[in-house]
Amino acid sequence: MKMDVDKNTEEAGVELTEAENELYDRQIRLWGLESQKRLRTANILISGLNGLGAEITKNIILSGVNLVKLHDDKLVTEEDFCSQFLAPRESLGLNRAEASLTRARALNPMVDISADTQPLKEKTAEFFGQFDVVVINGASNEELLRIDTICRDLGVKFFATDVWGMFGFHYAGLQKHSYVENVFKYKVVSKPNEKVKYETVSTPVQREVEYPAYSNWLDFDINAPSYQRKLRRDGPGIILLRVLQTFRSENKRDPHYKTRTADIALLEQIRDELAPNSTLTSDALGLLFAQISPAVAVVGGVVAQEIIKVVTKMEAPHRNLFIFNPETCVGYVEAIGVN
Amino acid sequence: MAAAIDGVLPATLQELVKKSKVLVVGAGGIGCEVLKNLVLSGFTEIEIIDLDTIDLSNLNRQFLFHREHVGKSKARVARESALSFNPDANITAYHDSVTSTDYGVNFFKKFDVVLSALDNRAARNHVNRMCLNADVPLIESGTSGYNGQVELIKRGLTQCYECTPKEKQRSFPGCTIRNTPSEPIHCIVWAKHLFNQLFGESVEDEDISPDAADPEAQEAAAEVKDADAAGDAADVNENKKETDSPPNANGNVVRINTRQWAKDCNYDAAKLFNKFFNEDINYLLRMSNLWKSRKAPVPVQWDTLLPDGVSSDAQELARQHHKIWTVEECAHVFAKALKELSAAFLKLEGNDTLVWDKDDQPAMDFVAACANVRSHIFEIERKSRFEIKSMAGNIIPAIATTNAITAGISVLRAFSVLQAKWEQCKAVYARLRLNGRNQFLVPDAFFPEPNPNCYVCASDPAITLRIDTKRVQIKAFRDEVLIKTLNMVNPDVTLESTGSIVISSEEGETECNEQKLLSDMNIVDGVILKCDDFFQSYELSIIIAHFDADREDVLFEVIADKNQLQPKEEPKEAEAETEPSSRKRAANGDDATDDGPSTSKRSRPTEVEDDDDDDDCLVVEEDDDDDVEEVVTEATDKLTEVSLQKTAAKRKPSKVLDDDEDITEILDSSDEEDAGPTKRKRTKLEETKAGEVISID
Repeated sequence: MKMDVDKNTEEAGVELTEAENELYDRQIRLWGLESQKRLRTANILISGLNGLGAEITKNIILSGVNLVKLHDDKLVTEEDFCSQFLAPRESLGLNRAEASLTRARALNPMVDISADTQPLKEKTAEFFGQFDVVVINGASNEELLRIDTICRDLGVKFFATDVWGMFGFHYAGLQKHSYVENVFKYKVVSKPNEKVKYETVSTPVQREVEYPAYSNWLDFDINAPSYQRKLRRDGPGIILLRVLQTFRSENKRDPHYKTRTADIALLEQIRDELAPNSTLTSDALGLLFAQISPAVAVVGGVVAQEIIKVVTKMEAPHRNLFIFNPETCVGYVEAIGVN
Repeated sequence: MAAAIDGVLPATLQELVKKSKVLVVGAGGIGCEVLKNLVLSGFTEIEIIDLDTIDLSNLNRQFLFHREHVGKSKARVARESALSFNPDANITAYHDSVTSTDYGVNFFKKFDVVLSALDNRAARNHVNRMCLNADVPLIESGTSGYNGQVELIKRGLTQCYECTPKEKQRSFPGCTIRNTPSEPIHCIVWAKHLFNQLFGESVEDEDISPDAADPEAQEAAAEVKDADAAGDAADVNENKKETDSPPNANGNVVRINTRQWAKDCNYDAAKLFNKFFNEDINYLLRMSNLWKSRKAPVPVQWDTLLPDGVSSDAQELARQHHKIWTVEECAHVFAKALKELSAAFLKLEGNDTLVWDKDDQPAMDFVAACANVRSHIFEIERKSRFEIKSMAGNIIPAIATTNAITAGISVLRAFSVLQAKWEQCKAVYARLRLNGRNQFLVPDAFFPEPNPNCYVCASDPAITLRIDTKRVQIKAFRDEVLIKTLNMVNPDVTLESTGSIVISSEEGETECNEQKLLSDMNIVDGVILKCDDFFQSYELSIIIAHFDADREDVLFEVIADKNQLQPKEEPKEAEAETEPSSRKRAANGDDATDDGPSTSKRSRPTEVEDDDDDDDCLVVEEDDDDDVEEVVTEATDKLTEVSLQKTAAKRKPSKVLDDDEDITEILDSSDEEDAGPTKRKRTKLEETKAGEVISID
């Protein structure tokens, strides 16, 4: 995707078929024909077919992209039935990506969908370079750092995302991203002798923004004095993210419902080490098990919408860390590493 | 099935999810997502209702439906698909309208929480009332484009859905449509009226011929009239209006004549084209007062445009939805569509008529072509068929992601409701862009207080109704005011002072009153009417304020808040022109069309009037194009509304507001479609607070 600009303009010239126009009618009316043409050329990797992966996959396939690769080396477990609606009950014990293929394809027969079961850590630059957008879900910070670096080299757009229970986030690594944003203004359209009449006029404005590397998040000091006021205003979501990622890297797993009580205690311990005196309550730590469907729908909807923004180059993607608080339903964006 | 696995959810929530009964109203864009979230969370007692059937344009977001389901019941297919996600759930699906009397207060009382995912205001209003009466918490949701909204409605705690006025729909004075269009939408409305004149249900107030009674053209018109007394079918129109007195006959006769005339010409494209776009325009030109300060229209002529006749590639042309056709191309498409429509029309039996539907190719082609020819004549910007479809069909854009996000929030709020964590249930808005605090999923800071003057949830609700009691009949009062505007289903009305029954919900009991004018029943200025809808358990006092409506006035206006009662001297066009254009609409959700009745495709099992519940939502916002909204207007299908009887010469558009439309502040809502036909106007109540958000769906 080295030359994404040129590539998009070039392929955007291809006309949509009548069937596409009909199927995508309601969204073309929102984002326009050019955007739909760009979507049609986009190749997307979704790695990690848990509930969140399924949700993003669904939204992206419905939008009408060219190709979606479902990637996962894990097997379907009981826990997946809390939100992974692409894998049928009978697929328990089978590979999650492969188990999701049939239902994924049924969502939109016009999209090229396939599965890949090789472990993520064996995947190299050559693999990631096939895609316009790479979404990694459920990986360790170490892996995320590695893939972010690869994607930065290749100019591939990168998203890291996770949902634990009802809490979720995404990080966007878009390098240098250019897009068009519509700026709305009111304009008087009446003639001088008529009643005053306005019309909203939108003017497209081209912008270019730089997205920092994932390492900025890893280096980010949540205890920095300069950050405390913001933390108080936005709530402890960012601390929770840090706690959960730490849990994952220390335990090589996520909190699990079978060890619910013990895991909450572990989380409390990590919390107290990382951010003593934070407002992160133990009640909130009780909402972090499996992946709960409505929260997954919110985060998966947000991530998919970001992918669509990136592919269509329309509207500003969130820069760069999105946090969802399931209790208040606030979704906000923190600019990490942005000056 | 999260609740079926111990340890996944906190224990109290787990128990509540397992044992709670939930009703989902609407199986469209939001409804599909809500249903998925519910079964996966482990709810096992779920009922879902939707009267709509699946359309191809739903499939970009209503992911429980696939191509092979097109034409089937949304509720039933959604149930089947959701069961495949969790076979342990018990889901009851109703392919029906939620406003049907089968679903009374006792039905609603069965549920611990109701999640509404509707796409039209009428159904939302109704569900609001039912939930208030049943005292069941209601989670209202709506989307439109990138915007979504979720709010809790709980008796005694929050505002109800009807506490805040909703944006009203834009409507246009008849003389603008018939004589002096200045925007594309005026020509589109006119083209839809033309369709109905030729092939559709006969509707009063949809005349397409020049309006000689236009006050602005008055004098000139008088002369023209004499000169033309022996004119052709079209002009007969005007003459008849002036001379005939029998009120009803009038309109109808005229309409039938135009229709009959077209039929007698064998739908000859050249003849019809010249009549609508040449002779009628020449007639308008003779109303010279109109053109003193306006650019005069320039008639077009079939032979000049198409010296070589109709080309054979009109079909191909009509498929170019994004191209702006030239006026010659429009003429080709006109001829093609006319041929197809007339063939379809002649095949109908008896008095059946065609129903305009934006998804019916010739019907849409016809409107696009006619609207553009008229635009050309009046030097108005022409639009592509694609754009005209949005406006004519009142389509609200809809995407999967907004619906998923909104439905997710809706079900998270249901968790809080079940746990009685009311503080966590403030309304949430989803937006495309960040606010000043870098949020794009934004909860309200507090619960807005219920409106003490709300005509639904206040303790002793009352409204003032400004109405021309000398021109509105009892039937129109019931249908347009009580049912369409105030959203009652089956009202009883008595005069407060004497207790005499004006309207009874018992079939036939007050039929003899239907054709009477309000004033004939002693319903005059200052009278109080007691209205009671037993089904909704809704009682309302209506204080009558008579006014003599002018030609372009609406015949009635509901004033919900007495403080807003003001003398009203605004000019007649105020509503149409002043609104910043932009706002509006919303309404319907996905697919649904809203208004209904006219769109043919929806199957409605019960005859209830409202329609769709469907999907997503609505909201409205302002930034949408205005276009959309407008369109709607027209159709009025049914009711005669007020058309006037007396003065035959003037007819006024009745504009009613539509109910269905919702709009709200937000934007987005729903998806789709159309609105339709009826439009009613709502009063000004709405205008006041237009900025708030409200609706949802």
